[in-house]
Amino acid sequence: MKKNKKKSKISNAKTAAKAIKVPSNKKKKETEEHAIQKKEAKHSQEKRKPEKTLVYVLGETPMVEQYAEICIARGYDVYASLNESYLKEQSTFSPSVTITSTIPKNTSIAIELTNTNIPVKKKNLEKLAKALPETAPILSSSVIITATEQSAWIAGKHRLVGIAALPTLIDKPLVEIAPTIYMPKETLDVVSRFFRTINKEIEIVQDRIGMVLPRILCQVINEAAFAIIENIAAPEDIDKAMTLCMQFPRGPIKWAEQIGFDQVYAVLTALYTDLQEERYRIAPILKQMASTGIWWKQ
Amino acid sequence: MLKHLGIVGAGTMGRGIAQLAALSKINVQIYDVNETILRRSLEHIKADLRKMLNMGKLTSEEFTAIMERIRTRTSLPDLGHCDCIIESVIEDIRVKKDLFKHLDTIANSTAVLASTTSSLPVTSIASLTRNPERVIGLHFFHPVNTVALVEVVKGYKTNTETLNRAIEWVKLLGKDTVIVKDLPGFIVSRVSLPFFSEALRLLGENAAYTEQIDNIVRKAGGFSTGPFEMLDQIGIDTALTEIESLYEQSYGEPRLRPHPFLKQMVESGLLGKKSAKGFYNYEEVK
Repeated sequence: MKKNKKKSKISNAKTAAKAIKVPSNKKKKETEEHAIQKKEAKHSQEKRKPEKTLVYVLGETPMVEQYAEICIARGYDVYASLNESYLKEQSTFSPSVTITSTIPKNTSIAIELTNTNIPVKKKNLEKLAKALPETAPILSSSVIITATEQSAWIAGKHRLVGIAALPTLIDKPLVEIAPTIYMPKETLDVVSRFFRTINKEIEIVQDRIGMVLPRILCQVINEAAFAIIENIAAPEDIDKAMTLCMQFPRGPIKWAEQIGFDQVYAVLTALYTDLQEERYRIAPILKQMASTGIWWKQ
Repeated sequence: MLKHLGIVGAGTMGRGIAQLAALSKINVQIYDVNETILRRSLEHIKADLRKMLNMGKLTSEEFTAIMERIRTRTSLPDLGHCDCIIESVIEDIRVKKDLFKHLDTIANSTAVLASTTSSLPVTSIASLTRNPERVIGLHFFHPVNTVALVEVVKGYKTNTETLNRAIEWVKLLGKDTVIVKDLPGFIVSRVSLPFFSEALRLLGENAAYTEQIDNIVRKAGGFSTGPFEMLDQIGIDTALTEIESLYEQSYGEPRLRPHPFLKQMVESGLLGKKSAKGFYNYEEVK
C-alpha cells in the first residue's frame, strides 16, 4: 500500500517535470547532428518557456521582492505576497509583479521565504500545498528548519526542496539546495532547470540547519558581536580590518545590518538549538539588536 | 620623528617592512642571527625594487638611494640608536619575551619596541621588560606591500605616547591603522576564525564537500577565496599553531577550539600549498 503511494508521488513529480518541459531522456540513440538540433530547439524552448511559467513567491521582505525581481527579469510571470508582519512596510516590488495572497492554481513553482517565524512558515507551506497541484515543486528556505522537517507538515512531501535564502545572498550566482529524504530525482530535475533559467548555479548539500554559507556567515557575525561586547575595537574598525586584511566582501557588522539582525539571530538560535553546543552560544547583544534593529552603541 | 628603524628578523615579514620603510625614506637596520637569511632578504628586496624600476615606478637614483638606506646587522646593539625597533621573529612566546627583555636594555630610552605577532599577547611579550609602556603590537599582514591595514595592539601597560607615535609611523609607511585591545587573536584572527572552523565543522559533519564549501562561499557569498583554499595558502601548520594559541590563551573557549582535522593533516605532512598537498592537491600544477 505504502509502496503504491510512493509510486504515485513519483509519477506526480514526473508530471511536474513535464509541466516545466524537462526533456525526456528516452531517446538516447540519436545522431550527433540530431542531438545538436534538439539542443538548439531545447534552448529556444527554454527561452520561450518563462513567459508561460508562473512563479509564486511568498514570505519575508526583502527576499520575496528580490526573488520576484529575478524571476520577472528572466521572463517568468510572478505572483507574490508578503507575510502579514511586513505588510505595513512600503512595498518595493517591481510593477510587473502581481501582489496577491490568493495562490494561482496554474502556479508551476512556489518559493517560500520565511526565516524568522516557524508557525507562519508552516501556515504558508500548508496553504501552498493545498492550493497547488502536486506537480508544482515548492522551494522553501531551510536555514532555520530542515527541509525534511518542513516536508512533514504538508501533503505531497515529495515536492518540497530546501534552499539557502538570506537577505544579501539572493542575487548571487549560486544557490545551495537541500533535497529532503522524500524528494525524487524528478523534482530535483525541475528545480535544477528552474535555477538554470534564472542564471543560478546550484550546489546540492545535506539538509542541515544553516546549510553552508548562512551557518559560516552568521557564526562570523556572532564572533564579531562578541568582539564588540569585549570592546576589542570600535565596530567600524572591525569591519575595516575584516575587509582590508581578509578581503571579506563586506564587514561582518555592516553585513549583519544588511541581512537583518532578526534573520541572523534566527539562524544562530536554530543552530544553537539543533547542535546544543556551547560554541554556538549567541552573543547577548545580538538578541537585543534583533528586537531593536540597530547595533548596540557604547 | 622616525628616522631610524630597526628590524629584528629578516624573514618574509621583516624584509617586507624593511622595504616599505626604505621606500618611505626611513633608514633601516635589519638584524638577523643568520647571515644567509640576511643576504637572501636583501636580494629579494633588490629584485622587488628592480621590478618597480623596470615598470617605471622608480628612477635608478631612487633605486640606489633606497638600497643604501637598508643596512644588514648581525649584532643587536647596532640597533641601539633606532627610534623604533620592530620584531618579527618566530611565533614563540619564550623567544619573544627574552628578545624584548634584551631589546629593552640595548634600545635608546625613547625608542618604541614593537612586535609583529599575529596571535601572541603583547602584554606577555612586554612582561620581562623594565619599560612595558613602550611596548606595542604592530600586526602587519602578508603580503606587507599590498595589505593596506595594520592592527595596532595596545598591551595592558602600553602608554598613549607609544600608541600615538606608533600610529603616526605606521601611517608614514602608507598604512591605515585600527587600534585593538590585547585579547586573543585581536580582531582579524579572532573574527575570521569561524570562517575556517565552521567550514571544517561542515566538512566533518559531511554536510558538503571541500570543493562545494569553497564554491558556495565564493559564488553565493562573494568572497574572493574559500576557507579551504585560504587555509592551504596560509599553511595548515601555521593555521593550527595560531588557533591552538588562541584556544590556550582563552583558557579553552569552545568557540576557539581547533578542529581535529588540522592536526591530522599536519601530522600527515599535508601542510597546504607549500607541501603541494593540503585540502587540495597541487602536484599536477607543478
